[in-house]
Amino acid sequence: MKPALLSLAWKSLANRAVSVTLTVATIALSVALFLGVERVRDSVRDSFNSTISETDLIVGARSGAINLLLYSVFHLGDPTANISWDSYELIDTAPDVSWTVPISLGDSHRGYRVVGTTPGFFEHYKYGRARDLEMREGRAFGDGREAVVGAEVARQLGYGLGNEILLSHGIGEVSFAEHSDHDFRIVGILAPTGTPVDRSVLVSLESIEAIHAGWNTGAAPRAESHGHEDGEHELMPDSVTAVLVGLDSPIRVLSLQRQINTYEGEALSAVLPGVALSQLWRVVGVAERAFFAVSVLVIVVGLCGILTALSAGLNERRREMAVLRAVGARASDVFFLLILEAMTIAFLGALVGIVIATGGFAALSPVLSGRYGFDLPIAPGWTELAVLGGLTVTGALFGLWPAWRALRNALVDGLSIRI
Amino acid sequence: MTSPAVSITSLRHAWPGAEPTLDIERFEVAAGESVFLVGPSGSGKSTLLGLIAGVTPVQSGRIEVLGEPMLAGKPRQRDAIRASRLGVIFQMFNLVPFLNAVENVLLPLQFSPERRQRLEAMDRDGPAEARRLLRELRLDEASLTKKATDLSVGQQQRVAAARALIGGPGLVIADEPTSALDRSARDSFIALLMQECSTRGTALLFVSHDETLAAHFDRKVDLGEINRAGVTA
Ligand SMILES: Nc1ncnc2c1ncn2[C@@H]1O[C@H](COP(=O)(O)OP(=O)(O)O)[C@@H](O)[C@H]1O
Ligand SMILES: [Mg+2]
Repeated sequence: MKPALLSLAWKSLANRAVSVTLTVATIALSVALFLGVERVRDSVRDSFNSTISETDLIVGARSGAINLLLYSVFHLGDPTANISWDSYELIDTAPDVSWTVPISLGDSHRGYRVVGTTPGFFEHYKYGRARDLEMREGRAFGDGREAVVGAEVARQLGYGLGNEILLSHGIGEVSFAEHSDHDFRIVGILAPTGTPVDRSVLVSLESIEAIHAGWNTGAAPRAESHGHEDGEHELMPDSVTAVLVGLDSPIRVLSLQRQINTYEGEALSAVLPGVALSQLWRVVGVAERAFFAVSVLVIVVGLCGILTALSAGLNERRREMAVLRAVGARASDVFFLLILEAMTIAFLGALVGIVIATGGFAALSPVLSGRYGFDLPIAPGWTELAVLGGLTVTGALFGLWPAWRALRNALVDGLSIRI
Repeated sequence: MTSPAVSITSLRHAWPGAEPTLDIERFEVAAGESVFLVGPSGSGKSTLLGLIAGVTPVQSGRIEVLGEPMLAGKPRQRDAIRASRLGVIFQMFNLVPFLNAVENVLLPLQFSPERRQRLEAMDRDGPAEARRLLRELRLDEASLTKKATDLSVGQQQRVAAARALIGGPGLVIADEPTSALDRSARDSFIALLMQECSTRGTALLFVSHDETLAAHFDRKVDLGEINRAGVTA
């Protein structure tokens, strides 16, 4: 192949600027769509897989890893059973355990889950690459009836600091049993994280115990017959839903996990959050792969424009090809000229598409991270490079058919093409 | 001894599914000679030029161009011979439409290192040589950088002649290059082409159905006389 062909291909395309531009635009849009889907897919997967990080073990009543993860972290579904306070204390005092954060679920506020926990939650719950929960306004809850709400709760319900909210027993928008005599005051609002924390109302374990004191339906975690008169801070639950555990040394994780799983005093399960998250992703990731397939198809449709753009002019260009042959071009040169044109169109389409996508990411990224705590990287990376290379090569494949036709024409026509 | 520009022996050619178009026992163009080949349209003149140019593979018989055989089994070799040693001028639509006059003239250099080397040996660079040739062929300065499609037919033919001549080929074949020109343009075109060829010692095989042009050339050959296929048809 000769370098002259590249400049010929370029000039030939420039000569057909309108139809070439349209084809390039089609490919560019399909590439931009593909990159958008890819970028969002990557970010969703990343943010999903780091919904909880830096926690070494999640402990709950005996159940499957995914189930435990679903109810303890994603607040989906209900636990099969609780963990007794005794078991919790056993874990908390086990050697190598650096910290524990108990979680008590079961109540809700207008459809949002109430998470009873300790202030340690704000210190130890991490997401993404070891990112801390950030207080957008206010502070963590203290001893009294104070609540911290996630970003989405605050946004959707229009809450600000100082608002008073009522907690309901059970979950769901409409609850038959409201702890109507127990107002909680919002003292903190969290910044968006893109995790289920955004949709949580966080209160102290003691306060949740207090409102359940004397509650006798049996569905709520029961308090150890403490009354209001004893003072809320003394209330200790007899059980919690799950425990987040952090260890001094990561090498001890597996042995502690084994100990907990084989503990005879109570049927418990300990799961590694990272492992459970990727197991869960394998289930929910199906949709993601469907998106991928669709966006690949869109690119293929875009590339089909190359066939149209090159095939349409082929008959009018027979003369041009005969001239090239006459000045010394090989039949294979005619073939490669068409291939080069196809590659150039595909390359330009990919390039423009990447520019469009990058611009789009730059515009959207601040919105997404401000509102949803969702990190959308802007700078083009390996994906873009792969798309650029991959599309240029695929463009050549799409050029094969018109190129082969041009080659055949050139061989049949010889010098005596009739006009 | 220099080889003849064209030497044909026992050439037969039939297009697929048709009666034989050509059956030529002997035909020769001497080195530097200008030959006028005449024949009615449809008689196989273009077919013959395609074979000589090596674009159409020889079916039977032998063609040598400037001493080199145009072998049916060696398309690349034929392409290389054409690229470096042959100039071709068509009846019309000679130019690549999206290139300007100078760029069109430079095309053969891009496909042939030998043509570039010959220019270098004469200490000339491509674009300057292209412009020089175009000026010699009376293309005005403004038209040098005009797109091929913006040139008149007469100008296009002169650009085609410059392109055929650049880099000093041993043979120029012209397929009715003047049939789209009016009388005065036709005469001046032939005169210029002849002059360029003779000063360089380039052989010229000029094909036409128009007998009246014969006087310009060294020798006239009637295709009907050398082609046995045409007689019976
Ligand atoms: N590329 C081709 N494929 C098939 N048949 C051809 C081709 N070129 C010419 N012919 C046929 O060969 C015969 C001679 O044509 P041609 O060589 O173009 O004659 P001329 O140039 O003398 O007018 C015609 O019958 C024509 O149809
Ligand atoms: Mg003809």
